[in-house]
This record gives sequence, C-alpha cells and structure tokens, in this order.
Amino acid sequence: MLKKILKNIFTGNRTLDVKEDNVSPVQLKKKMDPVFGRSLRIRQVDAGSCNACEWECTALTNPVYDIQRYGIDLVASPRHADLLLVTGPVSRQMELALRQTLDATPEPKIVVACGDCAIDGGIYKGSYAVNKGVDSVIPVDLVIPGCPPEPGRIMEALVQMMEDIRQGRS
Amino acid sequence: MPENERYIELEANRFRDHCIALYNSGRYYPRLMFAADLRQSNDCFRIYMVFSEKEKDIFHIPFFDLKENAPVYKSLTPDIPAVHWYEREIRDMFGLIPEGHPDLRRLVFHDSFPSDSYPLRKDWTISRTDLNEWGEGLIKKEAYKFMEVEGEGVHEIPVGPVHAGIIEPGHFRFSTVGETIFFLEPRLFYTHKGIEKHFEGMSFFDGVRLAERVSGTSSFSHSAAYCMAVERMADIEISEKAAAVRTMLLELERLYNHIGDIGNMCAGTGVAIGNTYGAVIKEDLLQFNKRLTGSRYLRGINIIGGVTSDVFLKADDILNTIDAVTVEYKKFMKMLLGTISHIERLENTGKLSKDIALRLGVTGVAARASGINDDIRKAHPHFLYDDLDFEPHTSGKCDVYARMMVRAEEVECSISIINALLENSYNGDLSSSVKTIPAGSSALGYTETPRGSVFYWVMSDSKGMPHRVKLRSPSFCNWPAVPFAVHGEIVPDFPLCNKSFNLSYSGSDM
Ligand code: SF4
Repeated sequence: MLKKILKNIFTGNRTLDVKEDNVSPVQLKKKMDPVFGRSLRIRQVDAGSCNACEWECTALTNPVYDIQRYGIDLVASPRHADLLLVTGPVSRQMELALRQTLDATPEPKIVVACGDCAIDGGIYKGSYAVNKGVDSVIPVDLVIPGCPPEPGRIMEALVQMMEDIRQGRS
Repeated sequence: MPENERYIELEANRFRDHCIALYNSGRYYPRLMFAADLRQSNDCFRIYMVFSEKEKDIFHIPFFDLKENAPVYKSLTPDIPAVHWYEREIRDMFGLIPEGHPDLRRLVFHDSFPSDSYPLRKDWTISRTDLNEWGEGLIKKEAYKFMEVEGEGVHEIPVGPVHAGIIEPGHFRFSTVGETIFFLEPRLFYTHKGIEKHFEGMSFFDGVRLAERVSGTSSFSHSAAYCMAVERMADIEISEKAAAVRTMLLELERLYNHIGDIGNMCAGTGVAIGNTYGAVIKEDLLQFNKRLTGSRYLRGINIIGGVTSDVFLKADDILNTIDAVTVEYKKFMKMLLGTISHIERLENTGKLSKDIALRLGVTGVAARASGINDDIRKAHPHFLYDDLDFEPHTSGKCDVYARMMVRAEEVECSISIINALLENSYNGDLSSSVKTIPAGSSALGYTETPRGSVFYWVMSDSKGMPHRVKLRSPSFCNWPAVPFAVHGEIVPDFPLCNKSFNLSYSGSDM
C-alpha cells in the first residue's frame, strides 16, 4: 500500500533538495507523527561502502541528532524493518546478501540508496567488482546524495520522504 | 628513486633464502609483499617483498622475476607467517602460485568468481555472463571449504555477512565448545571493490579521490600516503607548510577515531553512557573537521604536490576546540576508568601474545598493545614527524584493556602534537604545481593511520600513467590476528574483542 503510494510519487530516482544541518526538531516531529504513527524502523545495509556512510548513519543515533526522538530507529534485523537504508555501490560479492536482505524485509519495503556510491557506483563506477548502484540490483524509492551525506541531510531526506507520502495520501 | 628504498634484484631461488635470512635476523619487520605484471616491458611478473629496518629509516626491497609459463615459486609462509595472506592475494590477483603454502584456498574471491581468472593481469578480461553469475552468487565455481572442528560438543555458529549493528559486512564462523570460542574463521572480502585495478584506470592525480575512499575513517591517512608515494616517485618535495598541514590533519584523524573507538568499546560491555559520551566528543570533532576543511572526514585537502587549504589560518578554532575536547575527554576517561563493570570486562580479555603478533605482522594499536614498539611516524619519519618529540606508546598486557589504554595515551600524544604544531609558523606554498609524472618509475608512501601503518607502492608506465598501485591497509595485516585473540574467550566477548581492534573491512577487502 505504502509502497504503491511511494511509487506514484517517485517516478524514477529523485534527488531531494535538502539543506544540510537545518533540522528543527519540533517541526520535524509534527510532520512525521501523522505519517508513520511515530514509528519508522530502518535496517541499514552496507553493500560495499567505504564505511564513511555507515558512520553517518550511526551518528543519527548519537545525542546530537538523536533520531529516536522522531520515532525513527535503526533495527537489528530486516524482519523488523519498514525501510532499507543501503550504502555502497553494491559490490558483486554483496549482491546476493542484499537481495536476500530485501527478501527478508516485510512489505512495504521502502529502499533508500544513501550516498553517491549507492546512487550510481560513485567513485568506484566502472570497476569490475561493483554494480552501478543499488538501483541496478534492487528497486530504489529514494536517493540521498553526498559522499557521505551528512547526518542532518539523511534525516531531512527521510522526513521529506514521509511528508511526500502523507501528501500523496491526502 | 627515494633514498630510503633499497631494491635488490635476486634469482628466484635466492629470493626466498634472502628474505628468510633478513627475517630471522630479527632486525627487520616484514611490511608487505606484492606483485606487478611486467610482461609487456620485461616479459615477466615481478614479486616484491618490503622489509623495514627496525633501527634505521631504510626499506629493503628484494624482488625476483617469474615467467608466465612457469608461474610457481616457493612459498615464504612456512618461514615468514606474516606473508600468508599476501601470497594468497597474489595468487587470486595474478595467478602466481606459492608452492608449499599451507592454505591455498582463495582469499579475495568468493565461490562464484570464475577459476583461473586474475584481474590484475594486464590482459585480463571477463565476460558479461561471468560478471552476472558472480553477482548472483548461485553457481559455485570454486567452492570455499571452511575449516571444520570435530569433537564431542563442538557447535558451529555462522554469523553474517549482514550483522545486527551498523557495521561493515563479513562472515564469521565460530566453532564453540559450550560458550567458549575454540576456533574462529573469518570470511571477508564481501566489500571487494577492485580498487587496485580501478587506480590503473585513472590518472595519478584523480587517484587521490579514490585513495580517500578506500577506508572512510582513514580518508586522510590513506590519501596522504598515496600522495607521498606519487610525490616521491616524481621527486617532488612538498613545502614545509604542506607538511605541517598534513601532520596536523593526520593527528586530528587519529583523535576522532581513537576517542570514537574507546567509546565504541563501551557498546561491547553494555556501558551505554560511555558509548554515548564517546560518540558526542567524536561528533564535536567531526563538526570541527568540517569547519576546518569542509569535510567531516577530512577529504579534499590532499593533492599531489601538497594541500589545498591552510588550516593554520583557523588556529584559534583549533586551539579552542582542542581545549574543549581535552576537558571532555579527561572527564570521559575518568568515568570509564572508574566504571568497574567496564574495566573488569576488558582486563585479560582478548589477549594477543607478542609472539603471535610479531609472527603475523600485526600493526598499529594492536601491535603496540602487545608490546611491539613500532610506529611508522617514528620508524620512517615523514612530513614534520622528525621534528616532533614523542615516543610510541606500548603496553605489555596484550588484552582489550591494553588496546584501550594505548589509544588513550595516543589521544594525549596527538593533542600535544597538535598544540606543538600550533606554536610555529611554516613557510612555503600550499602546493607546488605538478603536471607530469615521470615514466617507468616507482616509490613507496606510508603513514600511520589510527589503525596502524598503511603503505602505497606506485609504479608509472611509459606514459606516466599508473601501471600498478599496490595498497596495503593496516586491517589486512590485523584481521588474521583476531581469531587468535578470541580463542578461548566466550562468544559474548567477541564483539568487544573485535571492537578493540576496530578493523576496516573496506580497507582490507579493497
Ligand atoms: S558515497 Fe562516499 S562516503 Fe559513501 S560509501 Fe561511497 S565513497 Fe564512501
């Protein structure tokens, strides 16, 4: 259901115009609660990143960004997840694991490609050992550019996505 | 050719004896072993071994040639265990066989990569079908056989590649007896990105961006080592100012990593406040990095010939931030050292004996915490390290606690280096303009990353483009030591031991 709505909004990959480090907690919360009923569960999957992208995802949970305030949390298993936050160009040796992770995620599975590599292979594009981004392996609903995208930016992109879903509904 | 690199050409059968003699003398550390495909120019493959002298700033680099029709040589591994992964890597990438190697399974490539296919050979190609089948991972072309532990009550626990936390992918297979880890076999290289080959497809100048993206949290040390290699190859001397900027940023990189790592170790002991505290100080430092360089991970500063920005113009910000961080850091450490539940878990856990660490060629914090007095900043001074008065910090305790304390002491050392750097002014341009790279030459570059030494060895072809870029990250040396450290520990202590090494998967998988 949610997936369908998403698909309608995002015809193809779409880059959000987000401002960095410009997150107002109160406004964010107001926007998000009506959408996900205060709960969005994210499973982060490293598909061959350089690891800077993961550290920015990890930073989302530190007290400075504290993404849990908004009901967003990063969970330990794809089975608990609404959304896969995928980083890296998808190295060929991670391709199978990524597909299997997607299979293990319950519907609606939103897939977000996080970072330039995840969008199109980034700096590694053209290497024999990587794909051209997440999109070339599994369907992607949203992309977040940056190398790495900073935590504030990831946060805004997720919230903007929720807002779009809400508007798509009304 | 750089002054401290001594190349020694040897016959194939002499090479092994020579290396073993150097190694057994106890005066050298084996640093890295690699191959290059020189069939076009010299009609052969060449295998190099880099030793560094313990007391002098000198690299001894014996090498020998191998013909394509007889790609077999006598393995060094039985005598120099530290090269066991290198020989397997060379086999995977070049198809050169180390005869007598105790473990000839593939290291880098997983089961569905075609057999007899060697990407770093210059004439290597791969079909679309093979590539697709490799990615799909359904057809096993060369099956990897995990080691099996047999016996009453032995239980096997496979974990990964996708883990519960936000960490990089790797597969671990534990053989346990009750709760105790009897044997651990890591299967890595899930994030293999073909980086060495990728370097060959871009100019040396563009390679800097790639070097920054080998291992995200060592972006600066990697790019500095890479630039240093290219600069040495092209005989370019960087200015005092550029050297000062690099030294400063290397220490800032160490600072945010070490503090973050000390915090992360708390996640392994369930001390949430320690984990959070470390994360907050680290975040402060990352934001400071951004103010200073425009990048939280210190990217975009290094270029061939120098640096792009003079961070000393922001000396006030550096001073204030470092002062504030010092205050917080002291409180943080005081809290940790006073938390008995934390310290008790660290002490005597995950021991890595000095003997094993030496034999495996372990580097960095892990080596120093096992009593090996080795730090590239001291052993082979570069940038401004020769002018700085500091000593490598070691500990003889060999456990997780020692690895935390070596980091803690190095944090203080980095802070004093940063403060010392701020006391002087430095001359020269930020960068000297470099347009061309000499043909057919080669050189080493190296730095001490937060995890240990990183080496780049670059070689240009007849047009001054990259012919070979060998990169050896510290994690590649240290991964094989982790199973030794966790042997005899209980499974729940594995994350803690692992965090105390904090190795990069992307860095070692390349
Ligand atoms: S987008 Fe940049 S930071 Fe993220 S994984 Fe790729 S290279 Fe690393």
